[in-house]
Amino acid sequence: MILQGRAISSGKVEGCVLKLNGTFSFLGGVNASTGDLNAGGGNIAGKVFVFHSGKGSTVGSFVMYDLMVHGKSPAAVINSSAETIVTTGAVISSIPMVDNVDIDLLLDGDDVIVDGDSGTVEIRNVKIIKVVSSALLNKSGKVLMLKRPDTVKSFPGRKSLVAGKVESNESLESAASREIMEETQIRVSKPDACLPPIYVREMDVIWEVYPFLFKVEDQDPVLNKENTGYEWIKPDEIKKDQSIVPQTSDVVNKMMKHL
Amino acid sequence: MYLTRDEEDILAGEEGESCQKAMELVVALGKIYGAEDLIGITSAHLSGASYKTIGDGGLKYLEDMVKGGAAVSVPSTLNPVGMDRGRWKEMHIPSAFAEKQLKIIELYKKMGVAATCSCTPYLDDNVPSLGDHVAWAESSALSFVNSYIGARTNREGGPGALAAAIIGKTANYGLHLDHNRIPTVVIDADIDGSVFSYSMLGQAVGTAIGSGIPYFRGISPAVDDAKTMSAAMAASGSVALYHVEGVTPEAGNFDISGLERISIGKKELRDAYDKLNTAEDVQLIALGCPHLSRKEMKDIAAFLKGKKKKNKNVEIWFCTSSKIREECAEEVRIMEEFGPVLADTCMVVAPIEGTFQRTGTNSAKAGNYLPTLCSQKVICRDISKLMDVVL
Repeated sequence: MILQGRAISSGKVEGCVLKLNGTFSFLGGVNASTGDLNAGGGNIAGKVFVFHSGKGSTVGSFVMYDLMVHGKSPAAVINSSAETIVTTGAVISSIPMVDNVDIDLLLDGDDVIVDGDSGTVEIRNVKIIKVVSSALLNKSGKVLMLKRPDTVKSFPGRKSLVAGKVESNESLESAASREIMEETQIRVSKPDACLPPIYVREMDVIWEVYPFLFKVEDQDPVLNKENTGYEWIKPDEIKKDQSIVPQTSDVVNKMMKHL
Repeated sequence: MYLTRDEEDILAGEEGESCQKAMELVVALGKIYGAEDLIGITSAHLSGASYKTIGDGGLKYLEDMVKGGAAVSVPSTLNPVGMDRGRWKEMHIPSAFAEKQLKIIELYKKMGVAATCSCTPYLDDNVPSLGDHVAWAESSALSFVNSYIGARTNREGGPGALAAAIIGKTANYGLHLDHNRIPTVVIDADIDGSVFSYSMLGQAVGTAIGSGIPYFRGISPAVDDAKTMSAAMAASGSVALYHVEGVTPEAGNFDISGLERISIGKKELRDAYDKLNTAEDVQLIALGCPHLSRKEMKDIAAFLKGKKKKNKNVEIWFCTSSKIREECAEEVRIMEEFGPVLADTCMVVAPIEGTFQRTGTNSAKAGNYLPTLCSQKVICRDISKLMDVVL
């Protein structure tokens, strides 16, 4: 899986991810002669150090330089959004750096190749599984949610759109209509809206999810054994329902705008 | 970002490694702020001068830059350092600190930087003109030249300003562009017009608006007033540019109808004052944040002339640039009866926390930084009230 971000500081390196959630200040955040994080959570020396964004004192740039002098600098830095302090520190210390990548797709211990010239991050230890996820919008303006069994590995017991894996040699559209037929017995033709894929990390898998929207008549689905229940719900109420799988509300509402 | 053929060549290393690294940094910073190209600068002012603030990492960085042959290509000045070069013993500075500090100054000199070490270079040897593009660090100085002079700079960091000084260019974004210099809020100010009231006004406005570009009405700041107000607003908020109706050079260019209006008067100044004052008494009174101007030196000397320092337990420091200290020999003679007139340094960037715990200042900027950078409790008053304790 290759994430395309923005090149900030040049150089290419392979390393193991150490990730912090949130913002980080190098001044006060790390011991410059050892690389140990002061709040615990490990040692950044030689690691691909992933965090949201820099903060704090501008002296942080020199702390990064000091880490390099001591041979304890991170192998590379990945941010969601680069700011002055960390950018400066990375460039003057010759640490490859990339930003504008979705750091939710990275986990501690990932084996990644960071390329600060092309702005890419390759995650080497994940497999990508392509899935389609279809919103069925009926004449009453409601969207079909299916309840997943408690026994499945991925999102057990949660509610989701009509989703399933794309088989090899199958187009995305035909995968979507096949899954809808299997799981609901509802026949659809051309999709009325679609979006570019979104990516969701779960353990060693990145789900590459292709969202579709089909308009259907007011009718009830006939379920197979893949689901244990269903519900028609208004698009603006999806967000409130915590049992619905993440990002569903965003995806549905974005597609509604494309109608 | 668009780079010219020459700029591409520098980035490829054809002008040597130090120019290449400088170009990499300017381009990287330009990229994150959405600059479309680079713009030539007429001067730079660099922060990152005190050993206290940059530490061993910064010292090593400067050593490596010099080793790589780095040299500035435009007139460049340096911020105050952690001590007076000749009188650091009077400041209770450990010799290990002094040794490293002197090394830092030498390294900047080797790169061609004028080591006058002041936060008010615009009063002396680095005076931009209206419309000049410059790369300045030091929040108080860059706000002064942006606002009072109408030069153009973003809030540069130390290494970014040095990189710009080396290649003679900076990334063209933010306050370099006309449309980003438009006021965002109108401040209707009601103050008594003393220098201290300008300091408190800056403190109150920085606190109220955070960032943004205030447009002031109802005030008429002279140079010293603008100097202390710029410093206060950049410390309590992150204001890098303001306009004053009828005073600053760009103020007449804008239509302010429809902007949000904020009134700042007695109550707001009192709130600002109360927040800054955290000590009951002081061990050190330090004046000169930003560095004392010629006029302030004259005013202070006139105030002190004929008086005696009665309270020997309180030390007094006067901080200014070496040039102004030289020029004001008569004033210096009077002031030295009360305490040392120190050049190239100030109480914020010197390691005073080893000696003092409670400091008096007339500067809202110092009032903001003394607690965080120097672990001090603070009394913040105008000069005559501060001096009451020792006279």
